[in-house]
Amino acid sequence: MTTDVATRRLARAQPAWLERLRHRPLWLGALGLAALAVVAVAGVTLGGVAIAPADTLAILGRRLLGWPVAVTWPASAETIVLELRLPRVLMAAGVGAALSLAGVTLQGLLRNPLADPYVLGTASGAALGAAVALLVPVQFALLGFGLMHLLAFAGALGAVAVVYRVSRLGGLSSLTSVLLTGYAVGSLLAAGLAITMYLSGQNLRQIFFYLLGSFSLASWPQVAVGLPIILLGSVVLLTRARALNALLLGEETAAHLGLDVRRERLVMLAAASLVTAAAVAMAGLIGFVGLVVPHLVRLVAGPNARSLLPLSAIWGAAFLVLADLVARAPTELPVGVITGVIGAPFFLYVLRRYRGGYEL
Amino acid sequence: MRRLSLRITPLLAVLLVAACLAGPGQTVAPSPSAAPTPAATPWTLTLTDDEGTLLILPAVPRTIVSLTPATTELLYALGAGDLLRGRTDADDYPPAASALPVVATYEGVQIEEVVAAAPDLVIAGGNNFTSAADVARLRELGIPLLVVYAADVDGVLADIRLVGRAVGAEQAAEVVVGAIAARIDEVTAAVAGLDRPRTFYEIGYLPEIYGPAPDSFVADMVSLAGGDPITTSDPAVFSISLERLVTLDPEVIVLGDAAYGTCPDGVVGRPGWAGMTAVRDGVVRPVDDIVVTRPGPRLGEGLAALALAIHPDAAIAPPTAGTDYCPTL
Repeated sequence: MTTDVATRRLARAQPAWLERLRHRPLWLGALGLAALAVVAVAGVTLGGVAIAPADTLAILGRRLLGWPVAVTWPASAETIVLELRLPRVLMAAGVGAALSLAGVTLQGLLRNPLADPYVLGTASGAALGAAVALLVPVQFALLGFGLMHLLAFAGALGAVAVVYRVSRLGGLSSLTSVLLTGYAVGSLLAAGLAITMYLSGQNLRQIFFYLLGSFSLASWPQVAVGLPIILLGSVVLLTRARALNALLLGEETAAHLGLDVRRERLVMLAAASLVTAAAVAMAGLIGFVGLVVPHLVRLVAGPNARSLLPLSAIWGAAFLVLADLVARAPTELPVGVITGVIGAPFFLYVLRRYRGGYEL
Repeated sequence: MRRLSLRITPLLAVLLVAACLAGPGQTVAPSPSAAPTPAATPWTLTLTDDEGTLLILPAVPRTIVSLTPATTELLYALGAGDLLRGRTDADDYPPAASALPVVATYEGVQIEEVVAAAPDLVIAGGNNFTSAADVARLRELGIPLLVVYAADVDGVLADIRLVGRAVGAEQAAEVVVGAIAARIDEVTAAVAGLDRPRTFYEIGYLPEIYGPAPDSFVADMVSLAGGDPITTSDPAVFSISLERLVTLDPEVIVLGDAAYGTCPDGVVGRPGWAGMTAVRDGVVRPVDDIVVTRPGPRLGEGLAALALAIHPDAAIAPPTAGTDYCPTL
C-alpha cells in the first residue's frame, strides 16, 4: 500500500498530538463519541425557545430513565424537548453518519476524491421525486411520511439503478464511464426538476426548501422508520472495509487478492444508495457532509477503511448535529447552507495544513 | 451471513428503544381534540374547517396563534386581539399586531415557538399558505388547528363567521360580515349600469407579468368591482405572456404592485405596452394590494378601492382603509 509514504509526509506536516492520534483510531473514535454526546446534549438543550439546561436534563431523566423528579416546567417544555428536539437530534445524527459512510464508500469504490453520496444521481432523483409529489393532487401521510418522502426515496434509488444498468457497473467497466453516466443521468433529472419547479406555482417554496435540506419537521415516526433503514445499510457498509481497501488498489489487483469485485461493488453500491436515499427522503439534500467528513477523517486517521468507515460515521453524525444546532440557533436556516458555511473553511484549513500528504 | 445476523441484534435493540421513546412521547401534549368529557364542560364546539377537518374545542380559546395576516386582522376586529400570542412576519395590521412575537415566516412555522405559546387554538392558512407539512406536524403535537382558505369573496365571509364561532365572538363576526356585505351591495349597485371594461389587475411585473388566474379570488374581486377580468390561461398558471395581454387589450390596468414601487408613469415606458388601450388612454391606476386582496375584515374597503380604480366616477364612498400609492401632483 502507499500508506507508508503518506504517513511519512504527514508526519512532517502534523502537530505532534494529531500524529499520536493517527495511530490510535480507538482514541479518535472515543473522542468522536464524546463530541457527539456533547453536541447531542447541546442540541436538545438549545433552540428557539429557551428552556433551562437543568429542566432539560430533568425532563430527559424523568421521561427516559424514570428519575423521580418533581415537575417544575410547563407541559410545553416537555413537548419541545421530547417531541421536537430529541427526534431532530437523532435524525441529524443518523443522516450525518449515513452520508459520511456513503461518501467514504463511493470515494473508494470510484477511486475519485470528488465523489460524494450524490455522485450517481441520488440527489437529482430524490429532488425530482419530491417535486413531482408536490404536483400530485393526492396527498397522504403515513407514519409521518408523505408522498414527498416516498417519491424522494424511490427517485434516489431509481436514479442509481438506471446509472448502474446503463454504465454496466456490474461488469468491469471503466470508472470514468460510470462517473460520466452518473453525471449525464443527473443532468437529465435536473432538467426534469427545473421544468417541474417551473410548473409548480405556489408549491415552489416547498421544493426550494426541500432542496436546501432541513430537520425542522423531524418526528418520532420518521425516526422510527428512517433510522432502521440507515442502520441496516450502515452495518452492511461497515462490514465491507476489507473489500474497500482491496478495491483502492484497483479492480484487477483486488480480483487477484481473491475479491469478488462484481459482487462487492453491487453490495456496497446498493447499501450506500439505500442509506443515501433514506437520508435525502428524511432531510432533503444536505450537501458537503458526505464529501468532506470522509476527507477530514482520512487526513487525520489515514486511508485504512477499517478505521475510516466507523470514524467517518461517528464524526459525520457529530458534525451534522452541530450544523443543525447552528442552523436553528438564531432563526431557522436551511442546514444544507450551514454545512457548507462551517465545513468549507474548515476543510480548506485542514487541506492547507496537510498539503502534499494526502492519499485517497 | 452469520456476521450479518450478529449485527442485527443491536439493530433490533435500537428499534425497540426508538419504539419505546415514540410510545410515551405521543401522549406528552394534551390533545384537546380528543378530550373525553365534552358533556361536562358548558361550552363545547364542533367545527369543520375549510379543508374538511373536524375540530372540537372544549372551551372558548384563551390563547391563540394566528398564522395568516388576514386572520390576525380579523381577530383584532372581533375584539380577540389580546388573546393572540403569535403571528407571522407579514402581519402588519392593525399596528398593535406588530408587538406580537413572530412564530412563522416565509420559510415556515417555527414549531417550537408555537408549542411554547401553548395555544388553545391555532388558525392557519389553507392551500399551502401554511405549508401542509407544518399543519400536519402541529396536529400531530395535539395542537387544535383551524385551517381557513377562501376561494372567493363569499368564502371570506364564511371564514369570518367560522373564526367568529371558534373564538366565541359570533355577534362581532356578524357585525364585520354585515359591514363588508353593505359595502359589496353599495359597489354592486353603483357599477350595475356601467360598462364592464376589460381590466388587467397586475400582481407583479418582474421577472414575468403576473396576473389573476381564471376563477381566482382576485378575478372574483375584479368582477364584483364592475370589471371584466383579464386572466392567465389556466387556473394553475400565474404568469401571463405579453402577447396574450396585448391580444386581450386591457381598457383598464390596475397596479396591484403599486406598494412595491410600480407606478403608472413607469408602465408607459415598458416595451410593447404602449399599444394597449389602457396605456394609450392613460387608464392605469394604482391600488393598495393589501386591502384589495387580503381576505380579512377590510375587504369591503378593498373592493371599494378596486371599484373606484376601475370606475373613478361611480357613486361609491372613498375607502377608509389602505395607503395611497403613486400620488399625482
